[in-house]
Amino acid sequence: MMDRNNNPETAAEDPADALLRQLFHLKVYENPDAARMIRNKQNIMRRVREASSRKHWSLADLLEVNIPWFFTEPKYGIAALFVVFAGLQYLGINSRNASQSHTGIYTVADGMVAFEQHTAVSTNTISYPKLPDNLSLFPDQQGDSGVKFVGRIEPKK
Amino acid sequence: MAGSLNPKTEEIPKEGNGPTDEELVLKSQQGDMCAFDELVERYHGKIYGLTYNMTSNREDAEDLTQEVFVKAFEALPRFRSKSSFYTWLYRIAVNKTINYRKKRNRKRALSLDQFDQEIKADETYHDLTAKGSPLRNISLSELQEKLNEALQHLSEKHRTVVVMHDMQGVPHDEIAKVVKASVGTVRSRLFYARRQMQAELTEFMK
Repeated sequence: MMDRNNNPETAAEDPADALLRQLFHLKVYENPDAARMIRNKQNIMRRVREASSRKHWSLADLLEVNIPWFFTEPKYGIAALFVVFAGLQYLGINSRNASQSHTGIYTVADGMVAFEQHTAVSTNTISYPKLPDNLSLFPDQQGDSGVKFVGRIEPKK
Repeated sequence: MAGSLNPKTEEIPKEGNGPTDEELVLKSQQGDMCAFDELVERYHGKIYGLTYNMTSNREDAEDLTQEVFVKAFEALPRFRSKSSFYTWLYRIAVNKTINYRKKRNRKRALSLDQFDQEIKADETYHDLTAKGSPLRNISLSELQEKLNEALQHLSEKHRTVVVMHDMQGVPHDEIAKVVKASVGTVRSRLFYARRQMQAELTEFMK
């Protein structure tokens, strides 16, 4: 039942309420044994240390401790994730371009690929005298049959 | 020793009088056990007082106090300072106590702490035991038992506000944060809880 002003606090000033307050006040003297309280605190710290030693910090725990704003304000967390994602994408694209331009396999050449001559010569081949490829058998006579000797002259071994 | 559970006489250290709660919480989150030890030292009396008055059983209160601090330690990495450490710890204590009582089916015998001898020097005690007082013929232990029984007959939500406000001196707005209700709801619960206790005690004093 409330009073005329419907204010529970004002209504609480009647004698019955005052008596109740006095009784509550006496509970201040209802105190635990000091030795039991000391033991209780020691037990708490023992259990806390046990809990601490078997605790495995997850990545989420570490993040929450070190960057609490990330979780407190999810919108900033999401924004930060987006920035990290965009940054990684940018770095990925750059590294791909860099690999294409600097490794031999993907070298971009404007014209034909020029092989260096010395790398193509084998070391144990015999060198031959330079002769024309086609020799006429009867070069100065009439009635040239048109037959030409095609061969190779090799030195005696 | 008198009043060690009373928040009015147990000041929370502020700047210049040791580290603040925020500093201790931060250090504890980084694994500093001494900082957590300091928090236990600072709030042990209050949490024991809350759980004791909620259960009227000192063994249960001791167990619950341990559970509350261990739970707080485990949940500390997730504490985000949206509320004060004190409010957060009280919330853990209230929830733990309510759940504990539900599990125990609320049927527990009273196991009460002794009154300090200093009570005999208290004015209120003299008033209550003076001639003309309705309580003059009732022994102190009888009175204590009846008061605790009346407290245990309240519902959980009503007992919570009575214990926090009338016994521990926690202001309405802090209680509202702890129980996640409006200040008006807290005042209303307090009003009806007092009425119910008055009714029980009046019956006893007849």
